[in-house]
Amino acid sequence: MLILEFLVKRIAQGLLIVFITSLIIFTLLRVVPGDPVRLIVGGMAPPDVVEKVATKMGLRDPIIVQYGRYMRGLLQGDLGQSYLRPRSGMIAAGGQYVDPTKSDMALVTDLILERLPFTLQLGGMALLFALLISFPVGIAGGLHQHRWRNALAFGMQSLFVSIPNFWLAIVLILFLSIKLKLLPALGYQGFSYVILPALVLAVEIAPFIIRTLTTSLGEVMQAPFIDEARVRGLSRRRIVYSHALRNAAVPLVNLLGIQLSTLIGGVLVIEYIFDYPGLGNLTVVSVVGRDFPVIQGIAITTSAVFVFINIIVDLVAYLIDPRVEI
Amino acid sequence: MINRRDVMLGGLAGAAAFGFGRVNPDFLVNSAFAAEGKALRFLGAEALSGNWDPTTHTNLGQLIVEGFVFGYLTRAPMKPDKPDELIFELAESMTPIDASTMEVKLRKGVKFHDGTPFTAADVKATYEYGCQPDRPAQWYPGLVTIDVVDDFTCRINTKAHAYPAALYYYLSSFLPIMSAKDIANKAQLSARMNGTGPYKYVEQKGDTTVLTANADFFLGAPKIPGVEYHFVGDTTTRTLSLLNGSADIIERLEQEQVETISKDARFNIHKAVSVENKYLFFRCSKKPFDDPRIRLAACHSIDRKQVLEVLGVSGTYSKAHISPVKFGYTEVADYPEFDPAKAQKLLAEAGFPKGQGLPELTYYTSVGFYPKTKEYAELITGMLQEQGFKVNLQTLEVAAWGNLLYDKPGGGEGNMIDCGWCTGSPEPDLVLRTHFHSSSKRITGIVDKDIDAVLDKERNATSIEERKKILQTETLPTIAKKAPALALFTSVFIHAYSKKLDGLYIYPNGMQDMTKATLA
Repeated sequence: MLILEFLVKRIAQGLLIVFITSLIIFTLLRVVPGDPVRLIVGGMAPPDVVEKVATKMGLRDPIIVQYGRYMRGLLQGDLGQSYLRPRSGMIAAGGQYVDPTKSDMALVTDLILERLPFTLQLGGMALLFALLISFPVGIAGGLHQHRWRNALAFGMQSLFVSIPNFWLAIVLILFLSIKLKLLPALGYQGFSYVILPALVLAVEIAPFIIRTLTTSLGEVMQAPFIDEARVRGLSRRRIVYSHALRNAAVPLVNLLGIQLSTLIGGVLVIEYIFDYPGLGNLTVVSVVGRDFPVIQGIAITTSAVFVFINIIVDLVAYLIDPRVEI
Repeated sequence: MINRRDVMLGGLAGAAAFGFGRVNPDFLVNSAFAAEGKALRFLGAEALSGNWDPTTHTNLGQLIVEGFVFGYLTRAPMKPDKPDELIFELAESMTPIDASTMEVKLRKGVKFHDGTPFTAADVKATYEYGCQPDRPAQWYPGLVTIDVVDDFTCRINTKAHAYPAALYYYLSSFLPIMSAKDIANKAQLSARMNGTGPYKYVEQKGDTTVLTANADFFLGAPKIPGVEYHFVGDTTTRTLSLLNGSADIIERLEQEQVETISKDARFNIHKAVSVENKYLFFRCSKKPFDDPRIRLAACHSIDRKQVLEVLGVSGTYSKAHISPVKFGYTEVADYPEFDPAKAQKLLAEAGFPKGQGLPELTYYTSVGFYPKTKEYAELITGMLQEQGFKVNLQTLEVAAWGNLLYDKPGGGEGNMIDCGWCTGSPEPDLVLRTHFHSSSKRITGIVDKDIDAVLDKERNATSIEERKKILQTETLPTIAKKAPALALFTSVFIHAYSKKLDGLYIYPNGMQDMTKATLA
């Protein structure tokens, strides 16, 4: 019953967050320089054509009217149609023109659904790599405070956090893909294309996991119940894996929820550099082309994913430690 | 002591070790590097418009793809030593009958990719559709009528529209021939490409345009089985893709990337003087650049040699408002060169000694498409400020810059904006008339009867030779004297490609001929 109440409360909060996000994004997009109609009709189109198309598309209505129209569509699951991408292909800036001959524009939902699995795959792999890197280092550092393993964890997290992701991406491509020919890197033609970008993203989020694990495990190991466990004669392995880690996991699970936002930010740059066909790449091209509906759709989708993951994180934290308030 | 948990963990570890030996790790390593006999992968710097009707855009990336798919009456290799040369393709000859009529004999036995035979009706439909004033590309000099004599002969007729038919001589290399059937069905025309060229359009897969070799191509089937044009906006990514073998040819490289690729024996670098001049356009319809003396003063303040130093390999010196590979190019004697004393004299004559009293000038440039624009715009700003111009430089990303580029009623945004203009034909009016004639004045907004007169005079010349003479002795010098823009330099287009690719010809606007190319 408690969980049901929690779910209802958090979903309502989540909907409010998505609503506020959509309002902010919607307003911001319309106040930044760059008229999408000019891009749609082409630079050489006369001003009366620009105005005619803008009026037809409702882009000269007050922002609140445009937003109301958008939300009405959104409630029916309609994120609108791209301004620049026809169903038959793709587009960015460059003198193109919407006229009666133009084929139908792509649905934003289709564009997002087409790209989302790629980004989820990349994000999932990045998280997996980050955990694989962080767990041994973080646990060793937490268990051996003031020893070299703790220093190693500290050094590693400092190094990782200082490396710019775009630089690491280029170095890894040069070394692993071009010099050693171990991994393909650019574009996407199969699962192997996920590994390098996922590694770069993993390096971006691993320091925070290492830090949290080291600190939280270090604190738990000083707690009285650990001493009691030793007195009860439990083996060190049992103490660490069954008791200490479980208690140290709560802040880690919360951190993972927050790290998702880092991941989303990182995906924009990394997908662009790796020419990876995910949501990040779509976002960059859409921003450059002022494709408002696509940018809004992506923002709403990512905020919804963010809210959803944070609900899951809170639930998992509660299941791990029922003392956690939800 | 071994407990149940140890047994379970041991079992899982054993199963994992056993399973690992059975997994083919090929999916992790080396799964997608270049394979023999594959389609050629070209990484372009510009995204395509997705509307395949060639009359709807001025997108250079799409012009390149169209070059593979469509046929043209002629092709213009525009080599610096022979800029006027035309090679007949769908036309077998083009003969002037009189000043407003040109007869075109067409090649027989050519078919469109959908199987429809190519005839004079297709030329008529293409030209009469493309010349309409509502077509956004606006490559045509005006309305035109095509008189069909028979299936393989037609006449370009401009009598009713008061300009010479000879203008279509060079233009013919830049106007892709569409099928009359497609033009009658606009939805079909915009949904896919259907030409007579060496490659057929297959599909658009995300950011990749997939083409396959046309086995029935009238000059023989291309040896490379397919071409994939893939948009990659980032220059570094394009370079890395070439280096790791996931691309065969890339374009729009900068100095640093050229140096990296040059050191690698696996690749060729192709540098060619392009058909593109980069201009600093002045907004001539508003103050202070409505006064040609202020425009000239600005031109004399800019040391173009320093601009070229910043640009490195991506530009070359030229001395006219058209590229050296355009018909009629000559080094204009009075082209405004760096001369601070002259700049000061002109400013004083215009009533602004040392720039005093001039309003602040906004100068727009872009980053992300043309090489080094921000760097040389900062240099130009410094040079102008040295002569007393107060300049506010605004660096914008391509979309915002494109938004401000063109003239509008009351004058375009700001006072100066830089831009290149690249058209795949030696025809000079694609640049000169487009930008400097009062009937078009795309960016500058200039209305000047002297410029109009010399542009009309060269356009109405009765012979190619006469036109060339007028261009070189009257039109280009007048434009240089009035300076509605300063042509800063001519772009050098740089492509890098694998040495496995042989027999490729790259046109000065970036289009490519792969009909004889092989990819080992």
